[in-house]
Amino acid sequence: MKIVLLLISFTFCFQTVYGQVNCYIYPENSGERKACELCDEAIKHPQGSKESQLLFDKAIAIGPKFDWAYYQKSVPYFKRGFLIEGLQILNEAIKLNPLEYLCYRAYWYWQYRNYKLCIKDLETYYSMPKAYIQFTPGGEKDMRIILGLAYAKMGDYTKSIKTIKDCFATYKDLDDFGLADYHSLGVIYVKNKQYDEAIKVLKKQLTINKDIVDTYYYLGLANKEKSNKSEAKKQFNNALIKLKDKNRYYNTNAGYNVYESDIQVEIDNLQIH
Amino acid sequence: MKKFIGFVVIFCFLLCCDKPKSLKANTYENQIGDTSFNPNLDNRNFKLCDSTQVLHKRALVKYKGGTKALENDLISQFNYKSKYQSFNGYFFIRFVVNCNDETGRFRMQILDQNFKSTNCPKELEIHILKITKALKNWNHAFYKGKAMDCYRFLIIKMEKGKIIKA
Repeated sequence: MKIVLLLISFTFCFQTVYGQVNCYIYPENSGERKACELCDEAIKHPQGSKESQLLFDKAIAIGPKFDWAYYQKSVPYFKRGFLIEGLQILNEAIKLNPLEYLCYRAYWYWQYRNYKLCIKDLETYYSMPKAYIQFTPGGEKDMRIILGLAYAKMGDYTKSIKTIKDCFATYKDLDDFGLADYHSLGVIYVKNKQYDEAIKVLKKQLTINKDIVDTYYYLGLANKEKSNKSEAKKQFNNALIKLKDKNRYYNTNAGYNVYESDIQVEIDNLQIH
Repeated sequence: MKKFIGFVVIFCFLLCCDKPKSLKANTYENQIGDTSFNPNLDNRNFKLCDSTQVLHKRALVKYKGGTKALENDLISQFNYKSKYQSFNGYFFIRFVVNCNDETGRFRMQILDQNFKSTNCPKELEIHILKITKALKNWNHAFYKGKAMDCYRFLIIKMEKGKIIKA
């Protein structure tokens, strides 16, 4: 049930990010209103198409202060490997409305593996008095978790753990957690050699979503380091079993990914020693 | 009269200059990222299965063994040279994987650590492109039950002239 509720909330987030804007909030005949209406037309065309791009350009020309036009125009560039071009456009939206679009730029910095720039944007965002909870465009992760993972990618596990725990502290109940949030924290605990804490939160992860292959792998690693050989073996085998499950959960934006060969190496090593 | 014509010409010129950049540059391809054949850059033997329907759905193109295998294949081909050591940055390489798992239409950008355009030793640039072109384990896109051509891009991150794994 929890998963269903979370999925519904994620779907809602997704639609909020990509859905149409309400053009009626802008005064009639204003540049913003006209630009907004043109953008509504633009998004009826396939994303990245010439037709949509020309309409976004028209919208920007009529209402240069309508930030959403720049944002929407930038999306296909990021998705298709044109980062510089995408940034040139999105930066205009950020100049007009940093609160709304800084996280989106940070997300693409994360995707393009520039953790330093990702951290810079997210630290700026969360220092803003009106910062609110924002998610990755797919809705699966709170951007504070992305910030935590980015610290980990830069090697600062302590800051990573604190950031993710601070994020968790703002959640009122278990339903607020994402489907891989505890997993993310557990992985960083393993990286930081805090194996007891890792086992605790990875087990908690299994109560929320037991369909991530990597959760079992990291449980295996933590138990191996605690010299719980049989439990480690059991968890590595669970990881292999889960890998064959077609309905397993693909943890998008995980930051760290485990492959079958990684699991097999651990199983082989346990058999040797 | 001459003065009047001169005024009209200058007025029209100023009017054109005043257009926003984005409107002036409305020379879009049908889709952002469509890459036409360039005889100076592209392999003549690389053919698209259907040039009218090349997808822009990068997630549909897979590499056998995933990102880990892809990185291992790149790194195993990479020959480090000390002259590369000063380079810290990224290579963004866009290309097409056709419905026969062949690659072509490679285009590359080089960025520094602040994501600004930059340069690297020419030899490194050529080498990175060469080892990317040599990747052979692509699995083409399937879309609506059909084998398709599809665009894909790679990000190669380098620190001190060496490839950094994801």
